[in-house]
Amino acid sequence: MTKILLAEDEKELSRAVQAVLEAKGYEIKAVYNGKDAVEAAQEEVFDLMILDIMMPVMDGIEALKEIREGGNYTPALFLTAKAEIEDRVAGLEAGADDYLVKPFSMAELVARIQSMTRRSREYDRQELVYGEVVLDLKEQELHNKSSVRLAKKESALMAMFMKNPGKALTTEEIFARIWDGEEGDMEIVWVYVSYLRNKLKAIQADITIDGEREGSFVLCPSSGQ
Amino acid sequence: MNSIYGSYREKLELILNDLTEKIEDLNKAVKDARGEGIYEHLTARVKSEESMREKCRRKGLSEDERSALEEIHDAIGIRIVCSFIDDIYEIVSLIKGFENIEIVEEKDYVRNVKPNGYRSYHMVIAIRTDFADCMGRNPGKYYAEIQLRTIAMDSWASLEHRLKYKKDVKNQQLIVAELKKCADELASCDLSMQTIRDLINEDNDNT
Repeated sequence: MTKILLAEDEKELSRAVQAVLEAKGYEIKAVYNGKDAVEAAQEEVFDLMILDIMMPVMDGIEALKEIREGGNYTPALFLTAKAEIEDRVAGLEAGADDYLVKPFSMAELVARIQSMTRRSREYDRQELVYGEVVLDLKEQELHNKSSVRLAKKESALMAMFMKNPGKALTTEEIFARIWDGEEGDMEIVWVYVSYLRNKLKAIQADITIDGEREGSFVLCPSSGQ
Repeated sequence: MNSIYGSYREKLELILNDLTEKIEDLNKAVKDARGEGIYEHLTARVKSEESMREKCRRKGLSEDERSALEEIHDAIGIRIVCSFIDDIYEIVSLIKGFENIEIVEEKDYVRNVKPNGYRSYHMVIAIRTDFADCMGRNPGKYYAEIQLRTIAMDSWASLEHRLKYKKDVKNQQLIVAELKKCADELASCDLSMQTIRDLINEDNDNT
């Protein structure tokens, strides 16, 4: 069940949103100021947060900043009475994923919530498949005739290939994504591609990674298949 | 009690020593040529009376020479523990070149991993001897099983063997699944180490 934190100080609006969302099958925890929102986010696990910007004690932007600083990246939607661009920008910069300008239609709120929870579900997708090979992202396991467990970056690299089969990915592109912001030698890309090649071979995969050292790499069906 | 191997007990020791020596010579030759042996270590044994009798009973065979030497093929057993995966296959092909032996059976559990995660290469060979066997053949025919695996595969198999978990407890499935994960992790390390060796060799070849 999808659990939503709702922080809205206007009691009537809060009740109305809660009623609509509960009718849609969501579980709602309602709080009425920013400080309580921060506390709730620290104590319970939510799939989504809806925060009003203008709230007593602590406003929504401050609350979300604090929640994000604590390492909580639950998708967040701001409700704002002000339509000014600056407010919307401030909200997104504080770590919000979307916003709705008051007054809003309940249908639009529901549609946005559905879109956001779908997105985060897709992000958490557990398995990628190409050819006969399955990559289990949660377990970091590569399966075919047998299985091997991958290290974290091997799994991330394999996922990048499996999400982009048949596309030529450059060493630079791979390094930027998988070794995001890390110092070091791009030679590591070649080492990891080599690991994956041998591991694919070991599980008798029908796919392989083509390409030369320092060049571009493509996930494709292995020759002779 | 008489030996289950009857009068062939000493012959088995003789054949085992001979085979071990051949493999050790092979290792020495490779070491002289490349500066590095082909395997890490080797263990050789004639299957104990007790476990051979137990195996006969398990297979519903009578406890005699014929069962122990002709029906069952691992009275003589050698386990070769290698450093790298590719070494397994190199040794297999070198053993196939030995004189007076014939390959009876090969099971590649390195590629065709057992469902519990067990990895190893098993081969049964028949050795021709200049003395008779229990079937009256002369030259005689004796069987030996050779198992080849990496250090990581060997360590998994030894440790798994020591975990005497009850087969009927309700979390048995969980234990088996977790042990398989360990095997798949070790296999992954083996493949990484093999890859690193390949990359180093490539580098050395290019300079």
